[in-house]
Amino acid sequence: MNSVRRVSAGLLLAALAAGTLADRPQSQPPLWIAGYRVLAADFHVHSYPLSASTLAPWDLVLEARRQSLDAIAITGHNQVEAGLWGRWFARLVGGPTVIAGEEIHAPFYHLIAAGIHSTISWRNTAAQSIAEIHAQGGVAIAAHPVRGSWPAFDPQAMASLDASEIMQPIVWGYNYYGARELREFYQRGPLAAIGSSDYHGMGPLGICRTYVFARDDSEQSILEAIRRRRTVVYDRDGRAWGDAQLIQLAGGRLRDREPQPSGALDLFSRAAGLLGLIGILISGNRVVYSAKEKEIVPK
Amino acid sequence: MAVVFGCAVSLMTSGRLSLRLAAPAALYWTFVPLLEIAGLAAVWPWKRSPVSFARAIDLFFVSNTPWSLWFTAFAALWALFPPARVFAWTGNPWPWYASALAVGLWCARLDFRFFRSVPGRTPARACRDLAVQRFIAWTGGVAWFMGPAAWQVVASRVGL
Repeated sequence: MNSVRRVSAGLLLAALAAGTLADRPQSQPPLWIAGYRVLAADFHVHSYPLSASTLAPWDLVLEARRQSLDAIAITGHNQVEAGLWGRWFARLVGGPTVIAGEEIHAPFYHLIAAGIHSTISWRNTAAQSIAEIHAQGGVAIAAHPVRGSWPAFDPQAMASLDASEIMQPIVWGYNYYGARELREFYQRGPLAAIGSSDYHGMGPLGICRTYVFARDDSEQSILEAIRRRRTVVYDRDGRAWGDAQLIQLAGGRLRDREPQPSGALDLFSRAAGLLGLIGILISGNRVVYSAKEKEIVPK
Repeated sequence: MAVVFGCAVSLMTSGRLSLRLAAPAALYWTFVPLLEIAGLAAVWPWKRSPVSFARAIDLFFVSNTPWSLWFTAFAALWALFPPARVFAWTGNPWPWYASALAVGLWCARLDFRFFRSVPGRTPARACRDLAVQRFIAWTGGVAWFMGPAAWQVVASRVGL
């Protein structure tokens, strides 16, 4: 092992130690406003494998806790099994609340089915999917409803839709109109306002979140709060959307509960970690092939 | 390679390297080297093998360095800049596709030379081995990672 590789491995180990030490949940006392328990929730979370994400359902449960989320919906692409696993694990370790769900990934629309127990077919129309979600006791949330998906949400679908994402990472994307289109779709309502991270492993879980005003932190209370549109979401400009009365009652108390910026251990962990990784990669074994490509010379 | 993936996943999600995230992610992402090995095994000349298969794997995996550096650079973006800014940069996927294509071609060239040098394939046979190896590794990877959504896209396009 050469000296660059040794130093890099040392940096990587130090980064892991610092990052593991800094990895503690920020516990906060429950917040009650007007008789409602206010819960921070992320209703659009993907898991590994089969859903284009990086962490398994049980890792998501622990990460949600780390990000001060009270509830998440694990919504596998066209499958509910990941959500059921996550819910089982969350009950085992004492929370946060996990709602089993599915992102119905259909050709012309994407729909979050939160609170279901069986997979719903992507071959349905949006209206059929919503009816099936309701039959299973869940709620239907339009996922990143940009203009291209609007025709799929016909009057029948809109009449039964429960909620729509008004804040999610697409609003920061290169498509400047993303934020406006989510807003316009939401205003076709009445719908509950939802903020979701659409977590695929890039960026923090819960970077966009929904504040739910529920009777308690049970799955049924959360779903009931969405049906009754008792939610508040802050958009990228800090403007609040959702129930006007609850926005007024909450004042600035909701945003105070979002995760705090990282400290010195985190900074060290990320800097040393990146340097260590790059050092290990560029100092690794190389092979030089001869000009005639008939022999190999490990360097 | 799996360790690089594990560390990158931890950095992208939390901005730090923590065992809680890096260790399981490294384990989950072993599907990438395993599928690469499966693809290599499918085209390896078992009857007249010039080196042991274990040694061949070591040599073959050298070409993963460009991908690992690309993935580390991508993770560095998420670790060093505010997520809202990185979402804005990555919202347009085309520059990322272009850089991934460049890295993919670089790796393919390295693997082509591997097939020419180690098992001593002809240029045409080296191209065929490369294509078969990639087909096995990439289709397996997409199926395991994307699963039902990938199937929906394929089924919708071909009318199944």
